[in-house]
Amino acid sequence: MNRKWIKWRPAVLLILISFVAAACANESSGKAGWSLIRTTNPEPVAIYDGDAALIRNIKKDLEQFDELYDIAVIKGKEDILVAYKVRHMKRFRMKKIEKNIKKLLNKKYPDEKFTISSDYKIFLEAVELKEKLKNPHYSRDQAEKQLKKIIKLKNEMT
Amino acid sequence: MADVSEKEKEQYQGLQKRYETKRPVLKNCLKAFFVGGLFCVIGQAITYFYIYFFNFTEQTAGNPTVATMVFISMLLTGFGVYDRIGQFAGAGSAVPVTGFGNAVISAAIEHRTEGFVLGVGGNMFKLAGSVILFGVFSAFLIALIKTLLINWGII
Repeated sequence: MNRKWIKWRPAVLLILISFVAAACANESSGKAGWSLIRTTNPEPVAIYDGDAALIRNIKKDLEQFDELYDIAVIKGKEDILVAYKVRHMKRFRMKKIEKNIKKLLNKKYPDEKFTISSDYKIFLEAVELKEKLKNPHYSRDQAEKQLKKIIKLKNEMT
Repeated sequence: MADVSEKEKEQYQGLQKRYETKRPVLKNCLKAFFVGGLFCVIGQAITYFYIYFFNFTEQTAGNPTVATMVFISMLLTGFGVYDRIGQFAGAGSAVPVTGFGNAVISAAIEHRTEGFVLGVGGNMFKLAGSVILFGVFSAFLIALIKTLLINWGII
């Protein structure tokens, strides 16, 4: 019996090693990586300073929904990215929740362009962008570009 | 010997039923449930792996996850481990996508002695072929219905 297990040990090792190698190759995630598992409650971020109040208001509005527990808001030049996590048992009604949020935001801020997502990946990227903006060497153009990239990723279907 | 009456047949059936070992249906179901669930946990871990380290969203991470799960089960079948899991778990190892990889590779191994073209190539999809055929066809039908419904504005 024991012999049999030894025979396929290389395969398991190979798989494990490839996983670890892939993990090491992308070691840029840092602290933001925890936001997949934990509630991070990130501060709303405005890439350009003038929008700070607006962004804070949006976040406050969204906090009224008690189906959501973690909300990230990022505003670029024109686009506003809203990423949120839905409580586990409420995830059955995710589509409806998204519709409600969209309705509320479009009614309250008719002039702004929103991108709304409940995807973990989008949330993760948003938190990462927020962490990056803490670095004074990270320019606004770069941030804007990254935001555009996230929005493009969100609209990808396959 | 030739003329066995109906009554005797019935009697024999009853006798057989009494001596047959009972199938532990509930136990098998539980085993299948938990082992199948374990596969799904691994699948979820792989999904998160793709979300975390590559540019996949929750929407798009499904396809590479399925491919990886099938690939892993193919490897395990080749090393002879999946048979043992299958013996223990039954349907729990056959119903998730991993069962597909197992069906492909076990057929390939079985017919290896008949040569690569007529043996492996011709028999590889003996079992999995019907999965592909009916999967693709039913997906086509569902997509057709959905497209029509969207075009008519019902959903």
